[in-house]
Amino acid sequence: MSEAVVPPRALWVPFPLGRPLGAIDDPGFQKDVLRAAFGLLGTAAEPTIEDYPIEAPDKGMSEEWACPLNLGPTSSGGLTDRLLAEVARLRPWAIETRRERGRTLFGVSGAEENQVDELARCLAVVAETGDVIGEPDSDEINWAFDMPLLLRHIADDLRTFYHEAIAAQPGSTPPDHDALSRWIFSETILGETLLLVADGLTDASDSPIAQLVRGLLIPEGHYRGGSAFPAEANFPTP
Amino acid sequence: MVRLSDLHPVEAEHLGMRALAMPAIGPGEWVTPPSVDQATVAIVSTAGLHRRIDPPFTIGSLDYRLIPGDTRFDDLVLSHISANFDRSAFGRDPNIVFPIDRLREMASDGEIGGIARWHYSFMGAMPDPSRFEETGEEIGRLMAQDGVDVALLVPI
Repeated sequence: MSEAVVPPRALWVPFPLGRPLGAIDDPGFQKDVLRAAFGLLGTAAEPTIEDYPIEAPDKGMSEEWACPLNLGPTSSGGLTDRLLAEVARLRPWAIETRRERGRTLFGVSGAEENQVDELARCLAVVAETGDVIGEPDSDEINWAFDMPLLLRHIADDLRTFYHEAIAAQPGSTPPDHDALSRWIFSETILGETLLLVADGLTDASDSPIAQLVRGLLIPEGHYRGGSAFPAEANFPTP
Repeated sequence: MVRLSDLHPVEAEHLGMRALAMPAIGPGEWVTPPSVDQATVAIVSTAGLHRRIDPPFTIGSLDYRLIPGDTRFDDLVLSHISANFDRSAFGRDPNIVFPIDRLREMASDGEIGGIARWHYSFMGAMPDPSRFEETGEEIGRLMAQDGVDVALLVPI
């Protein structure tokens, strides 16, 4: 992409998506990356792409992570009940992470921190009814997006809740992106719910935006054996 | 940017196709900034980063969000639309995406000249970056008035 954009000075870094400075909680490593980028200001005389030669330490990541909680079925009820039961088991740990950090990334959908249950209920209703166009009926939440794009932000808020719950658990190294996605889509009711919502988006074949949102909802590699994006994914400009 | 070989094969194929289809737009006018230890630096993020009071980004957003240099990390969220990058890293250490503390340290140590008062954020994942030309030029003018010498573009 840098070859197409031709920035004046670019430092290519071999780090995972979402970690452009490389290493979490490692100021020294992060500053070395910045020094390498700023160094190009004094050396490049024409558009330059330079490779950063140092791999990031795998600090705080684990591809082989396994959740210490047993989130197997605790209820024989419907999807909503099972998802709410799962959320309830994770809640104490999510609260602990928010207390430790003094912040959360939860809430982009419009939900407040104390509305996780309502958010989960709304997503489960969408999954069960297949209605991916009508706004979820909630007296509590002021949604920040229109449907169907709202669905990917509801999903992201719940994914954030799950990850913040994991982050506080003792004796485990938090998972990387792939390990987290594998866990969600193979072991959790949230994953089951998201795949049902994705099916609803697939069925909304007369809505091109719904097909696109499916690709924004499910990480690649976790949608029923293929890409979650439609073959022709056009990004409209508002 | 990650190696394509480190991504899930489906994601790697998707990104590879997008990179090949991306229209060429550069290079721009060459500018030589002052020595870095004299330069004022502003961050430009494409992580869909913004304050909670700001409207979130949406699909195809071409506008930007202003991030004042004194914004607290507990006031920042991400509304980037992609499901394919690791948000948990930002949750644990916001400097991994928005390295404002690192710039403060480098300014304090004299490695850079200073930090801009304002920083800027866009929604990434735009197949045609030329669509950002108008807002890109706008923040260029704003940064010039803010005394910025170096724009540190941090993609997600």
